[in-house]
Amino acid sequence: MDIATKEIHPALFLENKPRSLWYRIKKTWPAYVFLSPAVILISIFSYVAIGFSLYISFHEYDLITDFRPFVGLENYTEAFGDKLVRIGFRNTILYVVAIVPAIALVSLFLAVLGNQVRKGRAIFRTIFFIPTITPGVVTAMIWIWLYEPTGGVNRLLKMVGLRGPNWLFDPDTALIAIMLMTIWGAVGYYMIIFLAGLAEIPQTFYEAAKVDGASPRHTFWHITLPLLRNSMIFVVVTLTIAAFQVFTQVFIMTRGGPMNSTQTVQMVVYTYAFSYFEMGYASAISWLLFGIIFFFSALQLKMFISRELY
Amino acid sequence: MAQAILDPTETPKRHSLWSVFFRNGFLTFVYILLIVLAISMIFPYMWMLANSFKTRTAFFTDPYSIIPQAVTLNTYREALTIGRMSLYLMNSALYTITVLVAQLFINSLAAYSFARVEFPGRDTLFLAVLATLMLPGSVTLIPTFLIAHALGLTNTFMGVVLPSFVSAFGIFLLRQFFLNIPRELEDAARIDGSGFFGTYWRIMLPLAQPAMITLGVFTFLGEWNNFIWPLIVLSDSDKYPVTVGIALFRDFNTIDWPNVFAASTIVSLPVVILFILAQNSIVGGISLSGLKG
Repeated sequence: MDIATKEIHPALFLENKPRSLWYRIKKTWPAYVFLSPAVILISIFSYVAIGFSLYISFHEYDLITDFRPFVGLENYTEAFGDKLVRIGFRNTILYVVAIVPAIALVSLFLAVLGNQVRKGRAIFRTIFFIPTITPGVVTAMIWIWLYEPTGGVNRLLKMVGLRGPNWLFDPDTALIAIMLMTIWGAVGYYMIIFLAGLAEIPQTFYEAAKVDGASPRHTFWHITLPLLRNSMIFVVVTLTIAAFQVFTQVFIMTRGGPMNSTQTVQMVVYTYAFSYFEMGYASAISWLLFGIIFFFSALQLKMFISRELY
Repeated sequence: MAQAILDPTETPKRHSLWSVFFRNGFLTFVYILLIVLAISMIFPYMWMLANSFKTRTAFFTDPYSIIPQAVTLNTYREALTIGRMSLYLMNSALYTITVLVAQLFINSLAAYSFARVEFPGRDTLFLAVLATLMLPGSVTLIPTFLIAHALGLTNTFMGVVLPSFVSAFGIFLLRQFFLNIPRELEDAARIDGSGFFGTYWRIMLPLAQPAMITLGVFTFLGEWNNFIWPLIVLSDSDKYPVTVGIALFRDFNTIDWPNVFAASTIVSLPVVILFILAQNSIVGGISLSGLKG
């Protein structure tokens, strides 16, 4: 009995002496069966997918014809000269550079403020979270209406004596309109991450600061902010990766218009892949986007890590 | 000495001044700011709800009133029939439930194996699973479509749901939870003659309920709100989920706003109810991991 349980208990192998590979596989085979659905799906939709994507980015690959010649780096060089691709990258970088600091700072600000209040904190957290759980498509539809020439946004501006533009139909303001809506919708989500970070700061630090007579401003700069570094890294990096791939809002609100002023890389990829069916070319553009995302993420991580002060 | 005398006289003064300001002025300012922001967050959705009950004339004369003069349910009737929201709702429910069941089952099986079995190649395999978290969705979008195309899954039910059946994040989350469950319980079950699957099914799953609920809520939100994948993989509008269905309202030259708002309310209702019911596990899950959808 005792030996039998030992034989079928896979966890006990930790303590056992190393046995032959075949013996260990024989004893742990149910794990492979249990893992197989997950591993097969991840292999196909992640590993085969990226390999395939890289492969077709070197080919002229469309769904219409069977003629799919190898073209080397032509898709990539062509993308560099493509005006639409350039506009897409320009707008996407503008968008990222504007919304990432804005969302990070506003949500940090909200979390610090929300942490001050005792009564009603849960209610504020709930309300600020509504835009996150509502489908992005619904929020975008509501904002199309709010951005109308005589819509809610312009009525509000009129109250303070300003004349608002025709937000989504003016090439100068359409991208700004999408940025503002995105910032508005995202701060509640990132606020929760910062609130969790704040909750992890030991209360004794603040008590010590109080005893030393530190001003609230001092406490914020020298205790709160340095100790929120991990939350900050997480927020900035994940936000940047998500922002580079902006699609839904743009697709619903402007479809890249007016006059390509809101074309983003993901919109351009979508257009080439699913309107013109130039899969190879679109894949090459998506790899360029991947390169930029990778570059920015690495840069951010390096910046944060080299500033190790605490 | 002189300093020691000076300091205690100076600090309490500054301290008390600050604390008075802090208690009254600052806190009031904080509350006002938070309330203004909360209003800005909630009002667009209040207008959505209010306008969904307005007749067309009531909407055009007074689109920004929160309480409609005359309440009508015609907008909902039209959104469900002419806007075909009833069909899209059925589709969305089907996709979401399928993905939910599949994810909970497949992820927990994998997580259990990773957490509890010392099989050859485990660490390498686990790293390979985690590494996929780094992949931006935009790179896998086109090849996933081409794979679905090659498998004959484009414009099918399976095509919509299959790529969402597993999530590396879900495996990671459940594995962390399984690792914290004491082994003694499983040992007892094994001694009682429970097999590998039996232990997982009867002991681990019930114990992992909190983590399963968190993953389930995120999976539900993610699939219900999913937009870009069904948009790409489906060509037949009869199979659209609500998110893609509602985008069709945008295609008309003039947008029929009261109907759009009725449809939007219908689409938002399930996630809002879920949020109210599972708020704590959503917030807890985000704090834990910072996962979105």
